[in-house]
Amino acid sequence: MTKLSILRRGIYAIWLREIMRSFRDRGQLIGGVSRPIIWLLILGIGLNPYFRGEAYGEVRFVIPFTYLQFLFPAVIVLNIMYTSILFAVSMIWDREFGFLREVLVSPLPRWAVLFGKILGGSSVATMHGFLVLILARFADVTLSWNQVGVALCLMFLLAFGLTSFGVILAARVRSFEGFGVFSNTIILPLYFCSSSVFPLDPSLTRTQMAATYPEWLVVLVQINPITYAVDALRGALIGYNQFDPWLGPGIIACGAVLFFTIALVDFKRQ
Amino acid sequence: MDNIERSGILLAGISHAYSGRKALDNVSLALPLGQSMALLGPNGAGKSTLLNILCGLVKPDKGNAYLAGVDISRHSDIARRQMGVVFQDDSLDDRLSAWENLEFHGLVYGMDRKSRARRIDEVLELVELTEWAENPVRSFSGGMKRRLEIARALMHEPKILILDEPTVGLDAQTRAKIWSYLNQQRRDHALTVFVTTHYIEEAESCDLICVIDKGIIQATDSPSALKSRFGKGIVRCLPRDAETRRRLLAKWPAAQQLADDRLGITIESKAMLDDLLIEFGAALKEIQIDEPSLETVFLAITGKEMREREEINPKGRAKRNKRI
Repeated sequence: MTKLSILRRGIYAIWLREIMRSFRDRGQLIGGVSRPIIWLLILGIGLNPYFRGEAYGEVRFVIPFTYLQFLFPAVIVLNIMYTSILFAVSMIWDREFGFLREVLVSPLPRWAVLFGKILGGSSVATMHGFLVLILARFADVTLSWNQVGVALCLMFLLAFGLTSFGVILAARVRSFEGFGVFSNTIILPLYFCSSSVFPLDPSLTRTQMAATYPEWLVVLVQINPITYAVDALRGALIGYNQFDPWLGPGIIACGAVLFFTIALVDFKRQ
Repeated sequence: MDNIERSGILLAGISHAYSGRKALDNVSLALPLGQSMALLGPNGAGKSTLLNILCGLVKPDKGNAYLAGVDISRHSDIARRQMGVVFQDDSLDDRLSAWENLEFHGLVYGMDRKSRARRIDEVLELVELTEWAENPVRSFSGGMKRRLEIARALMHEPKILILDEPTVGLDAQTRAKIWSYLNQQRRDHALTVFVTTHYIEEAESCDLICVIDKGIIQATDSPSALKSRFGKGIVRCLPRDAETRRRLLAKWPAAQQLADDRLGITIESKAMLDDLLIEFGAALKEIQIDEPSLETVFLAITGKEMREREEINPKGRAKRNKRI
């Protein structure tokens, strides 16, 4: 038995458990399916006719996309955010119900335990993101296999970072009760302030932009890392970037590394 | 230290403190391979800390711990493969089936497919859960869960089995069953067993008993040796009034305060018992004489009763209720 094969089996087991649990957890699955339907098919289709770069009755700029197309990548991010950040529940569950100790006394090193869990959580989240991707036809987004491949890579990296972020939250929360608040105080604000449901037009100068949107909102959107994740996916799926096309993927990758490192330090200390 | 090799569990000068409060103070202990030891001690005596150190969940401030001759903190992965752990609270994934829980365990311990399949069959048969292999653990009774946990802890063929109150909250029949599995393993595979328990009869059947209190090992010996060393009968009596109580304490200052206002007086001699009965017989509401047993040994060493703790702090049960 080589050390590597032992590690591989251990990480595989932990990953597999997360996948199996996600399929058995109906609530999570229903959320993963219903969220894109509500956001994309109801909100998206509903607001589609009003999306024309119009401000104060005057067309200021033109976005060459329909609202559905514009919204589509953001809904993928939303679905990944929910599943990833709520993955913390699975961490708390393991901790409170004792299962964590079963793995902690095993020969598996702690980093492998955490890596397996986060890998499992991000796989599930990527899958939930993929559920949205299936709806591409309804959003008038045509995709090549190439685009799907790039998008899936970005989605997985994003899910990995956000799942690690969920784990960091879990380490700081004592109970399930405390966690219910998160979906409302973290996920939705991050989502709304990420240029997901409205564009910041970079073709305008800063002063012009401020005339359209108040300064504080622009700043909020610009400092929100999710903005760049949404932008990266827009670049991959509809070829529209509000920022430098490399900025999004770069921030997603840095986030994944940074959050995993913090989660690992937390987990080793526990 | 050549005895490291031959010992199943060896603790050498372990000290540990939680935020300044000493939990273990220079604890040394040796359990030879193939033998069994029961760890007894009142709540807060340092039992959990000791177990956590053995499982490698807590790193001691000072001292070394060896499992089957392997230093736990230096070669933790090798040490951990030699050990199976059964926790006091359930640590199964109750959304998975019994088989899946075992398969997970086998994978995490790096077992290959063939040995996983073989051992899953073997341990399920050992604990008589073969027919339930495909059922989700959430549908299991408390006793079945316990049996499955024991099966799981034995699955990777450990040399040492560590059990934390494995039978707490179970009925007598299930308890007996669990011990029959454990004893079978001890016989057939020379398994070293280290167990904490509240049940006197379980401790009695172990080769060695270790009594810990206030973070210090108070005594380690075979049950019979402990009984002949500390085993004196005890009179438990309930004085009728405060005055009698005062007089009793004046006459036997070493008397121990027990639960429900009772006093425990060690029977030093037959004459002492006669004295007590003649002088105080009429002033006592209740009197009970305990023959020398592990219970009185425990009382003599720690000044606390074994049973009392269970009533005051039914830890396992309280937690289990919360879960439902």
